Amino acid sequence: MRNSISRRTLLKLAGSGFLAAAGASVLPRFMGRKLLQPAEVAFAQTTTPDLYFAGTDGWIAMPPSPNIGFYFPDDLAPANFNTYIFGFRNVTGLDATQIGQQKMKAQHSAPMFWVDEYTGANEFHMQLTNLGLQMRPDLTDSHTLHWHGFRNVIPFFDGEPTGSISVPVGRNFTYVFRPRDPGTYMYHCHVEDVEHVHMGMTGPVFVRPAQNGNTSLYASGKFAYNDGDGSTGYDREFAMFLSEVWAEAHWCDSHIQLPDWSDYKADFSLLNGRAYPDTLAPNAPIDAAASHHALSVERDAGGDLVAPAGRPDLQYQPLSALVTCLPNERVLLRFSNLGFREAAMALAGIKMRVIGRDATMMRGLGSTGLRNGADTSYETNTVLIGPGESYDVLFIAPDFSGGSGSSGQGYDSYVLYNRRLTQVSNLDASTFGGQRTEVRVYPGGLAAQQYPNDLGV
Amino acid sequence: MHILRIKQIRVGTILLLLLGLLSIGPLALPETAAAQTTPTIGIACTYGPSFTLDAKSGYILLADGNTMYMWSYAPSGGGFQYPGPVLCVNEGDTVTVVLNNTLNEATSIIFPGQENVLANGAPAQPQFDGGGAVTSLTDVAAAGGGSMTYSFVASKPGTYIYESGTSPEKQVRMGLAGVLIVRPALGAAYAYDRADSQFMPDEEFLVLLSEIDPYQHQAAEQNKPFDLTKYHVHYWLVNGRTFPDTIADNFASYLPTQPYGALARVHPYDKYLPDGTLNPTPQHAYPGLARYVNVGFEEVSFHPHGNNGAVIARDGAPLEATAGGADLSFEKFAINIGPGQTWDVLFKWYDAENYSEANPVTVTIPDVANQTLGMFWGGSPYLGQMGPLPPGASTLNQCGEYYIISHNHALFQLDAWGLTMAGQITYMRVDPPLPNDCP
Repeated sequence: MRNSISRRTLLKLAGSGFLAAAGASVLPRFMGRKLLQPAEVAFAQTTTPDLYFAGTDGWIAMPPSPNIGFYFPDDLAPANFNTYIFGFRNVTGLDATQIGQQKMKAQHSAPMFWVDEYTGANEFHMQLTNLGLQMRPDLTDSHTLHWHGFRNVIPFFDGEPTGSISVPVGRNFTYVFRPRDPGTYMYHCHVEDVEHVHMGMTGPVFVRPAQNGNTSLYASGKFAYNDGDGSTGYDREFAMFLSEVWAEAHWCDSHIQLPDWSDYKADFSLLNGRAYPDTLAPNAPIDAAASHHALSVERDAGGDLVAPAGRPDLQYQPLSALVTCLPNERVLLRFSNLGFREAAMALAGIKMRVIGRDATMMRGLGSTGLRNGADTSYETNTVLIGPGESYDVLFIAPDFSGGSGSSGQGYDSYVLYNRRLTQVSNLDASTFGGQRTEVRVYPGGLAAQQYPNDLGV
Repeated sequence: MHILRIKQIRVGTILLLLLGLLSIGPLALPETAAAQTTPTIGIACTYGPSFTLDAKSGYILLADGNTMYMWSYAPSGGGFQYPGPVLCVNEGDTVTVVLNNTLNEATSIIFPGQENVLANGAPAQPQFDGGGAVTSLTDVAAAGGGSMTYSFVASKPGTYIYESGTSPEKQVRMGLAGVLIVRPALGAAYAYDRADSQFMPDEEFLVLLSEIDPYQHQAAEQNKPFDLTKYHVHYWLVNGRTFPDTIADNFASYLPTQPYGALARVHPYDKYLPDGTLNPTPQHAYPGLARYVNVGFEEVSFHPHGNNGAVIARDGAPLEATAGGADLSFEKFAINIGPGQTWDVLFKWYDAENYSEANPVTVTIPDVANQTLGMFWGGSPYLGQMGPLPPGASTLNQCGEYYIISHNHALFQLDAWGLTMAGQITYMRVDPPLPNDCP
């Protein structure tokens, strides 16, 4: 930050004539590749990190025909895309050349990752690099990874840039976490956080309890918390990550402008980085074997993401929000919200039970202070989720209705949607959009989940 | 980005001023009707149980350089202040509040959560016009010099709001609101009459959330009507200030009408040793207490980094089982407090991994040339340690203390009408264990 040309300075230098003359094609040349080429930087690395993420910019596809006007679609967007973002990519396992090539290939939501509860030997190392912003060479913003909700972390590993250090362009930093508290969290870059968060550097993370593997408490051996009684056991789990897009702010960032954030309004409401009906599209192809700590989307020879089948526009929105399950299975929905408004997620036709909130099991404090007191879980149709909140919700899949199912497609469909109905709109002629997806109950034929949000079909 | 650079300079200036203040001791304050404590950090109580408040107008300063016309309650005979004084009383006190109205419209005070409130000795009650429409939620002090005396017995400990019951959609937004703290019979080191509500008395903090639509305030200043359907907030405040003013001391001289800081200055919780056994010589064996109060009109989701606060009470009611009193508190990392609510949150911070130079972090720390340094960063990951900084770099860190942010997570509300990082933000400062080298 100290050595950089500030955005204001650049704006003064450039003036409106520069803006009028410069299109997407001019900006990368202006930036000077040498400055921002991370592959040319020698990294001091003592251990192999469990995960290696990179922060950069990129483009995604929102619904194509909303009535927003001037700011949408972004006139600088490449083919298939319409919205400029900042974001993270999982570059674990890529070589330095491949990593350098991921610049301007950010995804949203950011790669989901998960960690086992720390039990003394399984310290978790997350390396972060900063590939720079290809569309904004003037913005030499640093990045960080803030694990939102992590308790008693030292500022050094908290990612809040004021009280700590952040990662300049082309540099590396390794965060160390010893996660002692199971549950659902979220993470984001905390630099210029209204901008970097809203621009898309946000994703879900969760901590698996040490109780996992205990098949006597629940047959699957998979639990949300160390419940001691199997009450948080589940068969399938799905992250439901909520975020938003204000088209004007995204346009401003690609056009070297600043919005007045106090005028914020969300145009698009997203689940797992997608607006309905894209929420129903499948995951990008996943390399299950490589998905130890994070979904590893299959990559091409250059390291770029392989798009979901038939959906090149969703290349950088790899995570589906579809829920699939079999009758009587317990399904865990891990909600977290890094949008700026409260959401009211309703599941039509199936009761949900809230078993955790903000990575805390729904129990009273109890005699030992270990959250083993009175059961405070509750059933509901609608879960209110404020900005920065997380909820763990279980439901039991209903029986299959028979025949070809309520959908006529071989499954029963139940709609999961934001009951703040203004947030299930894509601002166009369609009836529904935004934060809406489906729970599909199949009579059989689903494989067991190999990774979170695995559809099994 | 450039805005942060500007803010760094501003915070730096403020902290230097703050240090100056610390070195010369607390400011001398004008005498007011009720005794007021003047700690530089933490809750500055105005003690009762008898108070005389003036409803009056004045101005406050905001992070973008704007000056805002406000209404507020101020101790009678003193200058304007926003928010109103923090009224501190004890459980069982008969509290008397005399309201003198200097505004050009009738005003009043309601005390949500208090029962059997009297107004001039008679039961306080809503006011009606001749047609039966409610004109005020309680008895009023007439415009232009009227007076009204409210009284009640503070029967239940807790954190409460007091605010205008007259045209609250205008008057509360203009600033007529404050906090009432009722300390329990168990003692001032407890939030409630429960042994498990004990906290460190010097680590008690207020997080009072409010918001401003500048056009509504301009209309009031010009005595013009305001279309409430156009209500659009552009400023979000903590304890009546915008960041970075939020972390300046209480009674900072350059914020003459905004006396309450919001910096939480604490020490590590040390009830237990790193191996989990009881610490035989603890210095901070109890958590701190944050009293969250939302006098705004929107739900706020406030996110303290680095700890999950235990929400022990809402609206003055401890979270406990009706029968038996079992602890039903809950931990949250997002304190999502609704309009008009109060939440009491016990919080503590300790380094769960006990990192130090003797027990260092397990990764290579990048060379300083490969870091972007925060203004509070002291050069070392370890509490109480300072470390190397690049030539020419400066830091606001004094003694290796930690700064851990706490902020509204509707992040656009960290904004002061287009200036980012200037809204509902404050910090927790964690000092090294005593004795330390901190000033």
